[in-house]
This record gives sequence, C-alpha cells and structure tokens, in this order.
Amino acid sequence: MLLETSANNDEEKTIMNKPYARPTKAALAAVILSCSGVMAAATELEQDMRDSANWASQAGDYANHRFSSLNQINAANVGKLQVAWTMSTGVLRGHEGSPLVIGDTMYLHSPFPNNVYAVNLSDQTIKWKYEPKQNVNVVPVMCCDTVNRGLAFGDGKILLQQADTTLVALDAKTGAVVWKAQNGDPKKGETNTNAPHVFKDIVITGISGGEFGVRGRLIAYDLKTGKNLWTAWSTGPDADLLFDPSETMTWTNGKLAPVGKDSSLKTWTGEQWKLGGGTTWGWYSYDPTLNLVYYGSGNPGTWNPSQRPGDNKWSMTIFARDLNTGMAKWVFQMTPHDEWDFDGVNEMVLLDIKRGNRTVPALAHFDRNGFGYTLNRETGELLVAEKFDPQVNWASKVDMMTGRPIVDKRYSPGTTGPDVDVKNICPAALGSKDEQPSSYDPRTGLIYVPTNHVCMTYEPFQVEYTAGQPYVGATLTMFPTPGSHGGMGNFIAWDPAVGKIVWSKPERFSVWSGALATAGDVVFYGTLEGYLKAVSTKDGKELWKFKTPSGIIGNVFTYSYLGKQYVGVYSGIGGWAGIGMAAGLQQATEGLGAVGGYKDLAKYTTLGGSLFVFALPDSGTRSASNN
Amino acid sequence: MKAHRVFAVLVVVCISVLVAKADDASSEAPYTVQPGNKTDQKTYDGWRTWRALACERCHGAEQEGMVGPSLVESLKTMTKEQFHTTIMDGRPDRGMPPWNGSAMMQKNWEGLYAYLKGRSDGKIAPGHVYPLQN
Repeated sequence: MLLETSANNDEEKTIMNKPYARPTKAALAAVILSCSGVMAAATELEQDMRDSANWASQAGDYANHRFSSLNQINAANVGKLQVAWTMSTGVLRGHEGSPLVIGDTMYLHSPFPNNVYAVNLSDQTIKWKYEPKQNVNVVPVMCCDTVNRGLAFGDGKILLQQADTTLVALDAKTGAVVWKAQNGDPKKGETNTNAPHVFKDIVITGISGGEFGVRGRLIAYDLKTGKNLWTAWSTGPDADLLFDPSETMTWTNGKLAPVGKDSSLKTWTGEQWKLGGGTTWGWYSYDPTLNLVYYGSGNPGTWNPSQRPGDNKWSMTIFARDLNTGMAKWVFQMTPHDEWDFDGVNEMVLLDIKRGNRTVPALAHFDRNGFGYTLNRETGELLVAEKFDPQVNWASKVDMMTGRPIVDKRYSPGTTGPDVDVKNICPAALGSKDEQPSSYDPRTGLIYVPTNHVCMTYEPFQVEYTAGQPYVGATLTMFPTPGSHGGMGNFIAWDPAVGKIVWSKPERFSVWSGALATAGDVVFYGTLEGYLKAVSTKDGKELWKFKTPSGIIGNVFTYSYLGKQYVGVYSGIGGWAGIGMAAGLQQATEGLGAVGGYKDLAKYTTLGGSLFVFALPDSGTRSASNN
Repeated sequence: MKAHRVFAVLVVVCISVLVAKADDASSEAPYTVQPGNKTDQKTYDGWRTWRALACERCHGAEQEGMVGPSLVESLKTMTKEQFHTTIMDGRPDRGMPPWNGSAMMQKNWEGLYAYLKGRSDGKIAPGHVYPLQN
C-alpha cells in the first residue's frame, strides 16, 4: 500500500510504501560519533565507503578512483555475467551518473524532472520515491540534454541537486525533505547537472550555464542544516575568488609563485568577467589529509574568443581549495584564452606517483583540450602534460615552464577572427574527453579513460548578451578524426606518472560512459551503441559484452549484497554525445563521408531510461569463490 | 493590321498575366535567394538570428531536428501566425523557450520565418548565408 507523507513543500511528493525498518548501521555510527565528540572520527559516509559492499558515493570514494576491491566477478568468469534485474526510471532522456548503494538500499535518480527512488535490494520493491515539481522553463536553458549526474549520501541523508538549482537533502530512510537550498537562478540561464558531493560534514555543489554567460562558482553547505558556508567564484575580484593574492599559488616560469592582486580582473576587458563562465559541473574530489577539494572550471563566456581578449582567468582552471573555508591554496589554468570550448571540468583523480625515489601526492586530469596532466596535489607543481590522443593538433605541446599550451595558429579561431571557418581542429569542442569519468586501479597504477576521437570545424561570430538566452557565438561541425581508425572514440589505459598511453582500444563512437576497474582485473565501460563491456585491465582485451536497449552514458558501479557481487549501469542515451551529436552531424563532411560518423548511431540504438544490474549465475559465483 | 493589333494586345495581356502570376509566386515566397546562398537582407538577418540564438542546438545544424523537431518539416505546414506564436510564447513543456524577451528576435522574427521557409522549400542551402548586396 502506498502511503503519502507530507514534505516540507507541498509542491513535492515523497511517497513511502512502508515504514523504514533498516536497523541501522547509520544511526549507530551517528550515536557513536555524537557520544565520542571526536571530530576526526570517520563520518558515516566514510565508513560506508570503506565497505566495498556499498557504492556510497558517485566515485565510490573521495579520490575519484571509481575502483572496487570486489573480485568475485573477475577476468576468468566475467564472460558468464548475466542480467540479474532491471528497472525503468520512467524518463527517456540521457542518463548520466549512477545509483548509490548503502546497505540493503539502492538509490536511483532520473534526468529531469529528477525523480529519486529508494529500492529494496532484497526484492527490488520501491521503499519511497521523491518527485520534485520543477518549472519546465528550466529545460530550455539546459545546455546539452536534461542530464543529472546522480545523488550523494551522508549523515543519513540523500542529496539531490535538481536542474532548477535547488539542492535538496532527503531523509535516506523516508524520503522526507530535511532541508533545501537555492544555489542559482534559472532565469539567468543557471541550471545544475552535476552531482552534489559530500566531503566530511559539508556538501559541495556547482553551477552549469557556460553557454548562457553564467558566472561559475563552487558552493559549500552544512550537511546538517543546509546553511551556506562559502561561495567561491571562478572569475572576478580576489574576495569573490576566495584568493589570498600572496598565499594562493600558481605554476609560473618553472616554479610556484603567488597569483598576485586582481589575478582574474587583469585578464578581462571591463566587466566581462561578470559573464565569465568558468562553470563547475564536473566531479569533485577531496584529500582528507590536506583538507583540500579539487575541481575544474569550464569555458569562458561566449565561444567567440575575439570578443574577450586576455587569458580569461580563472576559466579552464584546476582549483585546490580548503574544504572548511573555500580559500584557494593553488590554481592552474590549462587553456588560457579558450578558443575551442575546452572546459576544464573533468575529474581530478587523486593518486600517489613515483618521481625517482620520491612518492609524490599527485592528481591526474584528462582535459577536454587533449592533454593528460599530472600535478603535485599539495603544491600545484606541474609534473606531466602529454597528449592522451596522439591526433590532438590545436597545440603542439605544453610548455612545462609556463604550463601554457603552444597553440598552432592554423587551428586558432581567435587568430583568424569571426565569421571564418577554421577546419580540422582536433579535438572537437567536446574534447578528447568530456565528463565521462575515468577509473584508477591502484594495483596497476594505470588510469582507464573513456575518450572521444572527434575533430571539428569552428566558426566564431559576434554575439550580444541577454540574460537567460544562449551566449554561444560559434557554429561547429564535428566529425571522426581524419586519417585514424575511423571510429569516434577510444578506451585507453594511461600511465599518469610518465604521461603515456599503455594500450588503446578503438571504439566506433565516443566512449561517454564512466569506467569502473575492479580487483577482479577487469574494467567495465558502456558504449553509445548500448553495449556494456568488460575488458582486461592488463591489455584491453574484450572479455564480455551485453547489448542494453539504449546507448550508455552512465557510469558503471558495483556492490555486493548477501555475499554476491553485482555490476550495474544506466542505459539511456542523450547528453551532448548522444542526442546532440547523433542528429547534429548530418552535414556531409569528409570525415562523415568516410566512416559514417555519429549519424550512424540511429542504426544502433534509440532513447531509453533503465537500470541494468548484472551478476554471475549461482554456479558461476561458486566457481569464482573456488578460484 | 487589326488582327495584329488584337494579337499584340492579347500578347501584352498574357504577358501581364504571366508577370502578375510570377509576382504572386514571389510574394508567396517570403525570401529571395540567389546562387552562393545569397538572400535578401531580411532573410539574412533571420539567419543571423538563428545563429546568434543557437537554435541549432535543439533543431540541428540543418534544421533537420534533434531534441527539437525538424523545421524543414514543420515549416511545410505551419502558418506564419503559428510560427510567430510558437517563437514568442515558446513551448516550455517541450523545451522550446519563449523568445519574446529577445530584442533580436522581436526585430527579426519575420526574417527568421523567411529563412526557415527557404530551408523547408529547399531553396536556401544549409550552412552560411550571405547578403545579396555584398
């Protein structure tokens, strides 16, 4: 029987099917924590993340590893994987992110209107669902489909970042609204697609709208109350940036130096920084030892570079900020004065690397601009910057002294100016990699990266800003990388210590699904045609695949319930790669003529919206445990 | 001579009728297009509006439809009045924003209609449009 409980706001509905009966590791942990009063003790989330049976955060941990120590499903038996159960989300749009699993409950989310379902793992019944009522006017101001990258969990709450910029904390047991916060204004083109992230007792969220002249920022809320703790802007005065001009460092001429006064203002004309972009819709990570949050900012406002001379700081930048205060410890701008829409929002993977005899606390980042960066995550020192797709041509290399790319003028729309087609720029605007997150296996030391292999023609043009309306100013045509294998993607293994591709597996389309490596020596990823694939972490050899009903742009996750390992993924094409590109690439370009391109996607799949969960047959599980 | 005169009058009348018909035909088409994808200024401004407001993000670079419908198809049946209403009020439930807040759209919506009609009729080619007088 369905019982309806009242939420704080009667616009929203939370529907429960029975009183929550979970005994409650969570409540126990909370009691222990509150009794002990020891702030340094692990939070409920941290405890849940340590138990590999759970998938308690979008990346499975704070460090963006997306690695699981579960090994019941492994390279020897993954070929026997079969569907355990499925569930529809009821929405036919792009499904990014993944569900969470905590204890005996799975928490699913959907694209707009961002429904949330709590599902019993024992029988796949719905414990409760939350159906926000959002103004449909938010849909037209969402850039690239109405995706949502998933939920966060912490302190007994499920956090949902709605498209309309409402951040909601739901009681994980009942779905009742605990608190709400507003972090943007859709009338100005501000929306959200990112997952909120819980680090310790703080929720971090960002903002989307880089194509609407939105000024990016990262926002922190108290997990218990929803009180705003700090807001750190990507562009503008030092006080807004939460920069200390003499203490916030950046890589300068081969060493780290303070950013100095007005480091952002000096790189814009007049008040253009107010439309400066630098939005923050990626995956954030956190180092509890350094107490630093890591994330990247997106493109500067308008894609027409001639309209905004200067480096446009701090768009296209990696930030390291103190979790409690938001103050920036260091910053690193990857693409000064962007001319290609190479947003810097992709995830920072926190890992330790060997440099000679030293172990360096590092972060690895695969930028849209096609370079794989490794930096010292404590200091911001640039260690490695190498192409992770050899076909990248807009820059010959990154100058390791300045950190600046050496731009090839042949592929520079800012040099040729407005109303001129600049042809064969590699990569395309969606980058050698977009938001689809990579996976790090600490045992191999390699990062497994879903990538795009797409080039473009780019024609910038003059635009004027009107609040809430597109502020783009460029027309693009995208096509498979000419002179390559003909496909539009690769799945690669990357050594972040030296910046080298270890192996590369060509794919027909962009790999727009988040990867998952496991201690079973397999790495999973989905394809736009709809295959979920398992390949060997050692050499990329394909071990298993299964065709789901729609293209996969979600992230693969794993959990264990009653001693059995499961692997799951959303099937539901959309996002920029899916809907946008599938239909947007009809122009007869050389590349398309040669290999078919994205328009072929329509031959392979159509819209969908379901969760697929896989497991070994019981006999397979037994043989696995015998291994 | 008389017969000749009558014939001449008839010819003149016929030519007049033909010209009138041709005029009617051209007044039905709200655009003028010449080789090189050159159009009248109004249609050109319509294309510039299409580009500046990033309509291709939903309707496709060639108006072939993506998350939004194909305008090549829609404009075959949609009247100018229906077009005006849809543009100004939007269809928010389907993701189409209202453009009545855009000064550029207010100024150029008829040109945009002309441009899209030309695309739908197959008379204007996809891609860049140029003004006739240049």
